[in-house]
Amino acid sequence: MKKVIAMIALLIIFAFLAGAIVEMRGEDGGFGNPVNTDMDEYFLGDSQPHNQVNNVVTAVLFDYRGLDTLGEATILFSAVSGVLTVLRKIKAPKEVEK
Amino acid sequence: MTLYYVLQLLVLIGLVTTAAAVIWFKDLISAAIALGASSLILALQFYLLRAPDVAIAEAAVGAALTTAIFIFAIRSTDRTEGYR
Amino acid sequence: MKWKMSVIVRTVSDVMVVPIIVFGIYLILHGHLTPGGGFQGGAVVASATALLIVSNGALKDYKGDFSTMESAGLTFFFLLAFLGIVMGFAMFYNSLAGTGGIFGGTVMSGINPGYINTGGTVPLMNIVVGMEVIAALSLILWMMAKNSGMMEVEK
Repeated sequence: MKKVIAMIALLIIFAFLAGAIVEMRGEDGGFGNPVNTDMDEYFLGDSQPHNQVNNVVTAVLFDYRGLDTLGEATILFSAVSGVLTVLRKIKAPKEVEK
Repeated sequence: MTLYYVLQLLVLIGLVTTAAAVIWFKDLISAAIALGASSLILALQFYLLRAPDVAIAEAAVGAALTTAIFIFAIRSTDRTEGYR
Repeated sequence: MKWKMSVIVRTVSDVMVVPIIVFGIYLILHGHLTPGGGFQGGAVVASATALLIVSNGALKDYKGDFSTMESAGLTFFFLLAFLGIVMGFAMFYNSLAGTGGIFGGTVMSGINPGYINTGGTVPLMNIVVGMEVIAALSLILWMMAKNSGMMEVEK
């Protein structure tokens, strides 16, 4: 019974993903023409004269979307804090008095 | 251009094969190394799709660091899959 | 239990660590010109740490150094983010671009190979994030290797 439910849920998720792929297809058909292209010209034209950066990917990561990179760095910091907390050296617990 | 398509087809077949091998192996160290091979082939696929940034990150994190961390974790627990 | 690989593996890994670290630092410093950046270069340098730990089975006690480096990286990243507000613009504004100081050169428009003294705050953020990623991933590897018994801490 569990396997049947899991298989049905997997099929539903797969159908949603396939629908999303078909929806992402561009106007002219094919995967080379994405739908959301409103900001492309701005980023490609603005990163050299405004930010003085040749690599547009780095300009987007560290300048236009810098807050996302700040969140990523914070995630890495909290991951290290979790590892240090879990693997810390602890003393042997005292015997519980009965 | 035909060579490009053939190369991409070979890369996708290798990706599916290594991903199936990860599930198929009962020895967990073999499964971890197959996962590293899968990450390396995925990095090659990212490079073929012209995303060299993601390819570098995937090769460094997926093939080197994740395999090392999995092997450290497996050596402090059981080596084979299943219940005792 | 002392874990140690053969002398061939140890010698080759000791030699190969140097070009791996140099390549990672190249990826960090040229992040605004070529593919790469802080996270990618930091992951490459941290893989050199993994190579040293796996081949030698021993490493010195770098835990305090890595912790200090990681906290310093995150703090400098915050300070660089607030530099835009201090200079009179919004947060994360590239206030050093084209001012002529360090990393303040101007680039030509169009396709060109680039010059390393450009970019404003972007190369500084690359360096800072790279420092943090190196320290964070190396610290995770160090702690897991020490607690799984595959590495012993050298005095």
